[in-house]
Amino acid sequence: MGFQYNIKDYDDVAVLPLVHDGEEDSELCRIMYSEEYKQVMSLVRALLTENELSIRALNLTSKAIELSPAFYSVWNYRYRILEHLLQEETLLQNGHDASYLLNKELDWLDEFTLNNPKNYQIWSYRQALLTNLHHHATFIREQPIMELMIDDDSKNYHVWSYRKWCCSHFRTYGHELAFTEKYIDRDVYNNSAWSHRLSVLKQCDVDFDQELGYIKGKIEYVPQNISTWTYLRALFESHSTPAKLVDELLIFTSQFLDESSYALEFFAYLNSLPEVNKPQTAIDAYTTLATKADPIRKNLWDHKIQLLQHS
Amino acid sequence: MGAKNLARANYISSELLGRKRETVEIVTEEPIENIMKEVETDTTIDRHEVMDMCEELLNEPLHALDHDYALKGLKFAFDSNMPPQMVALDASQAWMVYWIANSMQVFNETTIDEENKRKMVEKLFLMSEDKGPFSGGEGQLPHIASTYAAVNALALCDNFDNCWDQLDRKAIYKWLLSLKQTDGGFTTCNPVGERDIRGVYCALSVASLLNIMTDELIEGVLEYLQKCQTFEGGFGATLLQDEAHGGYTFCAVASLCILNKLHTINVEKLMEWCSARQYNEEMGLCGRGNKLVDGCYSFWVGSTAAMIEATTGVECINKQALRKYILNCCQSTTGISLRDKPGKNGDFYHTNYVLMGLAITESTFKYKMEPNKKSPFDLVSIPSTTEDKPSDLSSINPIYGLPSDVVRKFHKHFV
Repeated sequence: MGFQYNIKDYDDVAVLPLVHDGEEDSELCRIMYSEEYKQVMSLVRALLTENELSIRALNLTSKAIELSPAFYSVWNYRYRILEHLLQEETLLQNGHDASYLLNKELDWLDEFTLNNPKNYQIWSYRQALLTNLHHHATFIREQPIMELMIDDDSKNYHVWSYRKWCCSHFRTYGHELAFTEKYIDRDVYNNSAWSHRLSVLKQCDVDFDQELGYIKGKIEYVPQNISTWTYLRALFESHSTPAKLVDELLIFTSQFLDESSYALEFFAYLNSLPEVNKPQTAIDAYTTLATKADPIRKNLWDHKIQLLQHS
Repeated sequence: MGAKNLARANYISSELLGRKRETVEIVTEEPIENIMKEVETDTTIDRHEVMDMCEELLNEPLHALDHDYALKGLKFAFDSNMPPQMVALDASQAWMVYWIANSMQVFNETTIDEENKRKMVEKLFLMSEDKGPFSGGEGQLPHIASTYAAVNALALCDNFDNCWDQLDRKAIYKWLLSLKQTDGGFTTCNPVGERDIRGVYCALSVASLLNIMTDELIEGVLEYLQKCQTFEGGFGATLLQDEAHGGYTFCAVASLCILNKLHTINVEKLMEWCSARQYNEEMGLCGRGNKLVDGCYSFWVGSTAAMIEATTGVECINKQALRKYILNCCQSTTGISLRDKPGKNGDFYHTNYVLMGLAITESTFKYKMEPNKKSPFDLVSIPSTTEDKPSDLSSINPIYGLPSDVVRKFHKHFV
């Protein structure tokens, strides 16, 4: 049997429809399923009840998932099928090779993923597969799909999150600086890329001064950008002796006070630090934020001013 | 992926998933309050599109909430079948029930009539034959998010037909324990599920409401939550320092409030992050840095701000401005009533969260008890007196996403 869904393969199966599927039913918010959907799901329920862990069951789950991508019970069923098919005995019986099956599965997942960018289940399924069933998985094999997905939707949360998982799982961090740079070059406001970069920085063994230069350059390029200023602050806070940096950053930040509310915020923050201890300068900056530069956040700026007045 | 597959994937990517925009660098000067330079990228192109659509609506006087229109849509949904394309929610049917019933209840506590309650209970127990954990629909596997939604929906049924007493709390407890991970988090489903902060919130919400919280269940949870706060101040999905996000931040902060441990994280930074989600131009809230405003974050972020307010006394968002975004930009005059933003269709998810967000903007929040004994059930919402023409909505418990009196009564039932 091939790896294609074909309705004829299930001729012998006694379908198992939903109990509450009748037209006379007064069920709340009942979904009017298409005939095809009813047929496929009734077959799934039938095979699931028999716990059939076969190639044709696998093909059926492909069809069911295609019709209802968020149907997590079918994803779980698919996982158990694959787990069974990969057992030595079953492999021998079916004349399959484990890596052949696994590659086939990853190819299928890749294609499915490209069509369902917002789906949750794909990634947890993929993680379970790579953690428990695939013993020769590599970071390299995961790269193209992650890159394609982020190329298409550069802030796709699931994919960035999956990428972090891959870095951690395969202990591979060597690609991350270049990878994030690619998306930062494309869109300097991409907070997902900045956030990813910061999360892997420690593992990337980056030279602090070099990274400081990098972020300063991006701020000079576009001063009004929350992502870069937050990144700069995190970098500053991660430094072992921030006191030494303060003067340098005060001078740097002062250049942008007229053109960036985030610069003003960072400037106020620096002046509030015990190392600088210029509460009045900070209060003035917060006042400018509250009245002119970022008035919608007045509540926060007033709170900051109060903290400074009481300390 | 081989060259052939890659080509195919590229084809699907460009043909089926839409075009890719090249970055064009043009420096523009916008005539907004502060003349700040900006570079044209996907982020700014998308945002300007939204700003333009909001601008016109925001220039109009404050709209009133159209109760009649919204309620008509909600009641209609409860009395009708869902079209085939709703199959996308086939594995989240409890959510549908919760969103609609809760929206009705937030409007007015009498809008869910006895017949609706009967149908709701019947439907919800289809998803849990043994009255233990709930699944996404008949014959599906138990799921933590479905269980959360179903328990909230049952809370809204006011113990109709003794449905509260029918719950097998022991079975739910045992099952929650089975989802617990060694890192302190929870998975959504076994054997394959998502392991992120949503699982923690759903588990704690259900367990605290049903009074089945134990030390064993919450072991390691606090540390897990603390580690999910990121350098931005908000919370990411997992322990790997994912990007701070409104939905996950809500889950973390609500979980911390259930544990009475909000003070153990960096609240000051969290406040900064919440406040930074609000834009001067659109007035509404976004869910992440440099992302678009979306009505649903009126709840996810608005509720986080409400919990911070109750804990610290500091309001970190501008509720009046948010209220204007909701009333002027999130009401749709066709289809389902409340939406993400102008140009989008309404849906029940947004109706529920936009509506609760609106209730939050018209209230102030505090704890009844002394500071060291903060219980999630003592978080009270008081109508604020500053709003002209309030929308007349039920007061909300921001931790549970339910009307306050529903939470109180439901919890009391199991004590």
